[in-house]
Amino acid sequence: MAPRTPNSTTAIQGTRPSAGEHTVTGGGWRRHLSPHMAMLMPAIIVLAALSIFPFIYIIYLSLTGAKLGSSELPFVALKNWIHLFNDPGVLHSWQVTLTFGVVGLVAEVGLGLGIALVFYNAPWGRNLLVTLFMLPIFVAPVVTGLLWRFMLNSSYGVYAWILQNLGMKLDVLGNIKTALPAVIAMDIWEWTPLITLIVLAGLQSLPIEPQESARVDGASSLQVFRYVTLPLLSRTLLVALLIRAMDILRYFDTIFITTAGGPADTTKIIGQRLYEVAFRFRDLGYAAAIGLSMLLVTILLGRAFVTLMYRRD
Amino acid sequence: MGRRSARRTLRYIILYLVIAVVMAWALFPIVWMILSSFKTQVEAFQMPPRLIFQPTLTSYLDLFNEGHFADFLKNSLIASLASVFFALLLGAPGGYALVRGGFRQKQGIAFWIISQRMTPIAAAIVPLYMMFSYFSLINSVGSLIIAYSTFNLPFAFWLMMSFFEDLPIECEEAALVDGCTWFGTFWNVALPQARPGLVATGVLALVFAWNDFAFATAFTSTGTQTVPVAASLLISQQGIKWGQAMAIGTMIIAPMLAAGVLVRRHLVRGLSMGAIK
Repeated sequence: MAPRTPNSTTAIQGTRPSAGEHTVTGGGWRRHLSPHMAMLMPAIIVLAALSIFPFIYIIYLSLTGAKLGSSELPFVALKNWIHLFNDPGVLHSWQVTLTFGVVGLVAEVGLGLGIALVFYNAPWGRNLLVTLFMLPIFVAPVVTGLLWRFMLNSSYGVYAWILQNLGMKLDVLGNIKTALPAVIAMDIWEWTPLITLIVLAGLQSLPIEPQESARVDGASSLQVFRYVTLPLLSRTLLVALLIRAMDILRYFDTIFITTAGGPADTTKIIGQRLYEVAFRFRDLGYAAAIGLSMLLVTILLGRAFVTLMYRRD
Repeated sequence: MGRRSARRTLRYIILYLVIAVVMAWALFPIVWMILSSFKTQVEAFQMPPRLIFQPTLTSYLDLFNEGHFADFLKNSLIASLASVFFALLLGAPGGYALVRGGFRQKQGIAFWIISQRMTPIAAAIVPLYMMFSYFSLINSVGSLIIAYSTFNLPFAFWLMMSFFEDLPIECEEAALVDGCTWFGTFWNVALPQARPGLVATGVLALVFAWNDFAFATAFTSTGTQTVPVAASLLISQQGIKWGQAMAIGTMIIAPMLAAGVLVRRHLVRGLSMGAIK
């Protein structure tokens, strides 16, 4: 390949073109970095103030014995961290979080994929049906919690009434066997539509040719799905999974409202435990250590997400 | 005609039966809540459930008369609208500058922003609580505006980047050649083209802030509560005022359902953080 004439602007500034960036001969996009800087900086400064200060502060807090309602910050070195790795309660909460996440995500992806395929093959009213189907996404988690408490109430809840007619007479949210499945079911109800929407968008953007040619070659519908469509959807599904995984770590509202972690800690996901450590046991130093461990997991998931995102083209 | 078409008809019948079941599963709780909010307390508790009843506004009237619902509504509106305003004000130009400025650290900044948007709420509450206490911001709507900006600003910044990336660069180039300034190009050329994206970003940011419960319950008390906190407080030691709970729930979700339908076209992009268009 013949060497290109170097773009003088590029050479002077030493930057190299990257994805999404456009080189304009003579126009000199890069000669005007300062006005861009002026537009970028306010946002970056505020973002930094909103993230870096709290981040440094939470690291510092995790090394102190800070208590809620006290302004003293006694330095305790690694005491909270040592406690964190020896606390059976925290370990239990991570296990509950993992169960919640794995069961919830498998169900959401399975159902979401199936429902998306059903909508995808529906010839009439697809748009209207999907628009109605996605509504649970917008229900505030606190309302979801209240609503399910109402419907699962053993003496006047409509879902409890249905369960009773099926021969299951129990207080669903108060029973150690059924509480966790119930709060997972709430999550599945609220977020399966999101997976459905994402998969549907993925299906609609797929090239039609590979599926057609597989069919011409005599593949059954199931084979086309398994060996052609599904691999093409893998990136879409992974994006959906990562977002939902980060969300499960992020929110604890529904559990706070429905079971508050009970009965007997069976639904105490890690976010709920942190909230209790901070605001019921008033142990902010220890809560900070738990929070940092959660943040670490989110950062790993976020790293995977960004890598996946920039791999697309 | 014949077997082929009969089989296709059967296929569609099964397909739409499945859709009916799926729709019932997704929508029944919402419909049930709305129906219950218009029942009297006695009717709402009747099992087997009554589907035909005389609708009443008692629960809604109680909510306004017994409590300070109007104040809570005001707090919710101020906190969420202000955070959306700041998020768009800083996020739109910031996102534009990062897309068009040719910065080398783009991917690094992107990662920083996404981790900020996804930070577990419980983890963010602890340092924010201490900082708000220090600046005497606890129990103020101001604390909520700041707290909501911790997720809405990175969200707006990130999503606007995705919308600006889609714009054809030629129009902006032409404006620059004609002597338009960078900011002028952003304001007069790029932003009007990205308006649907800006609206979708604002609406989704509004949903996130409006629906928040955890921050609001940690940072506010009686006078500064938001509507979701007020809803949670209907569960009290004396029992739950279910009629009012269903009425407040209906009022919390109604505007957000409308918002969701409004931005339906950009929803997947918005909720997948721009990863899927």
